[in-house]
Amino acid sequence: MFKININPIIISYKKLRKTLFSNLFNTIISLLIIVLISVTCVNTFEWLIFKADWKVVISNLPLYAFGSFPPNEQWRPATWIISLLSLSIFTLYGPKWRWLRKNLLILWIGTIPLGLFLLYGGVGLSPIMSRYWGGLTLTILLTVCSSFLSLPFGIILALCRQSSLPLIQRLSSIYIDAMRAIPLIAVLFFGQLLIPLFLPVGIEIDRVWRAIFAFTLFVSAYIAEDIRGGLQSIPNTQIEAANSLGLNQYQIIQFVLIPQALRIALPALTNQSIGLFQNTSLMAILGLVELLGVGRSILANPEFIGQYIEVYVWLACVYWMVCTIMAVLARHLEQRMTINQTNF
Amino acid sequence: MDPIVVAKNLTKSYTKGLRALDNVSLTVDQGKVLVVMGPSGSGKSTLIRTFNGLETFDKGELNILGIKVDSTHDERKIQKIRRRVGMVFQQFNLFPHLSILENITLAPVHVQKRRQIEAEKYGMYLLNQMGIDSHAKKYPSQLSGGEQQRVAIARALALKPELLLFDEPTSALDPERINEVLDAMRNLAEQGMTMVVVTHEIGFAKDVSDQVLFMDSGKVIETSPPNIFFSNARHERSRKFLNQLDTY
Repeated sequence: MFKININPIIISYKKLRKTLFSNLFNTIISLLIIVLISVTCVNTFEWLIFKADWKVVISNLPLYAFGSFPPNEQWRPATWIISLLSLSIFTLYGPKWRWLRKNLLILWIGTIPLGLFLLYGGVGLSPIMSRYWGGLTLTILLTVCSSFLSLPFGIILALCRQSSLPLIQRLSSIYIDAMRAIPLIAVLFFGQLLIPLFLPVGIEIDRVWRAIFAFTLFVSAYIAEDIRGGLQSIPNTQIEAANSLGLNQYQIIQFVLIPQALRIALPALTNQSIGLFQNTSLMAILGLVELLGVGRSILANPEFIGQYIEVYVWLACVYWMVCTIMAVLARHLEQRMTINQTNF
Repeated sequence: MDPIVVAKNLTKSYTKGLRALDNVSLTVDQGKVLVVMGPSGSGKSTLIRTFNGLETFDKGELNILGIKVDSTHDERKIQKIRRRVGMVFQQFNLFPHLSILENITLAPVHVQKRRQIEAEKYGMYLLNQMGIDSHAKKYPSQLSGGEQQRVAIARALALKPELLLFDEPTSALDPERINEVLDAMRNLAEQGMTMVVVTHEIGFAKDVSDQVLFMDSGKVIETSPPNIFFSNARHERSRKFLNQLDTY
């Protein structure tokens, strides 16, 4: 009737016995660890399921996602986030690479104007001020805009640092070194508090944009160093070959150096953008109501007072989820790019 | 008909007083093949790399395809020369991030401003000539050394050069892969391509070259037609070198 193959179970049992319970000392250690792990697990699950009051999360879900965006317009940021998500899925499981490379990059870049249009409104949509933006939407907006702005800026800085003109080379090194010596929070303070003082009267930059610029200034210094590493690992013979084909300096940079440097720097660049995503939470201190800021404002509500753990566990999960998506996407991209280049 | 390459008293010295090139003079006529031989460190590579401006020199004068270059290394003139002179390297130096066909069409499209379709068509024709058109969509790392070197030759030919420089094109290849590259070079010579080839391949030099130039420590020891050079070299130094090559 039923034939259950118990052989693998026996083998793994024997293995366990051999590795974990081979002598008295090992047995005691193993038992201690098992007890510790079970107690932790039981307590955690008990808290998660019975003790924690998830009302603070469930009843505020739109708040976490969109901040104080007007409720009847919340489909707009929702559309944007869904389009980002579906583009990610499409990138991972979509058609073959050659076609992707040509069109997908344009689609990804296109998500920025799409997001800004959906959030700001105008042309058929009612305009919404940036102070109503918030939650996960704002966090993602800060990350995406700053990453895409700091990449070209970082490339230019890296190229300047390699320049043969001493003035340009010195200036960019000074900039990079200075930015790396200042803590991010100081740069963000500078962006929020000092930039308005420097600007002439009447010109005002949005708080969100001030934050994006501050992040861009900071991250591009790090990106420049990553790309410089990539540039330096390209053998000089590549430049000689390009020279002998009559390509000029700019063409060599554009067609030979940058594409190769970006591929080499890709893992480091992924790291930067994941770091950037997490660092956007610093803006909560500076008054932007992004994901962490929403959490703090909810905790300030008398109805939910004291429910720190629930809120922060929930926020950690959201951050973890988004970062995982980013990491998976980046790994996919890396694999795709290295398929054709087993050796340099 | 003016000669394609005229070098007069080329001299290049390094800081320690070591001379990479010492009063080198030579002429290469249209449709001729010059083979440059010599022990390693004799300045052969340095010599042909001055022809397309990859290497500067301190004294002397160079006239490539009627464009005169001197020790000032005028960037614009060199750029002009590079558009008309192709070069093939020892280590192939293909662009690893581009497919074979993209490697070949890069310069025609961006330097000569030819249309992509036209450049691809000509690129496929060249790959066909080299017998590797089936690899057009692959990447350099997927090809063997001999195939990569033939791609490199096709890449140099894509600009329709009037002079081809070969810097030890077979030195980095497995012995069984050398002939496929040499055969491709033979075909080019038969089609009347003007070539300067740095190589140790005696067979190739005997069959294909019109002149053999022998260098040692930056000096030209002798320039002879191959039948004389290989049977009855005029200089003791050349004979010694050839003997060593034979025993090797």
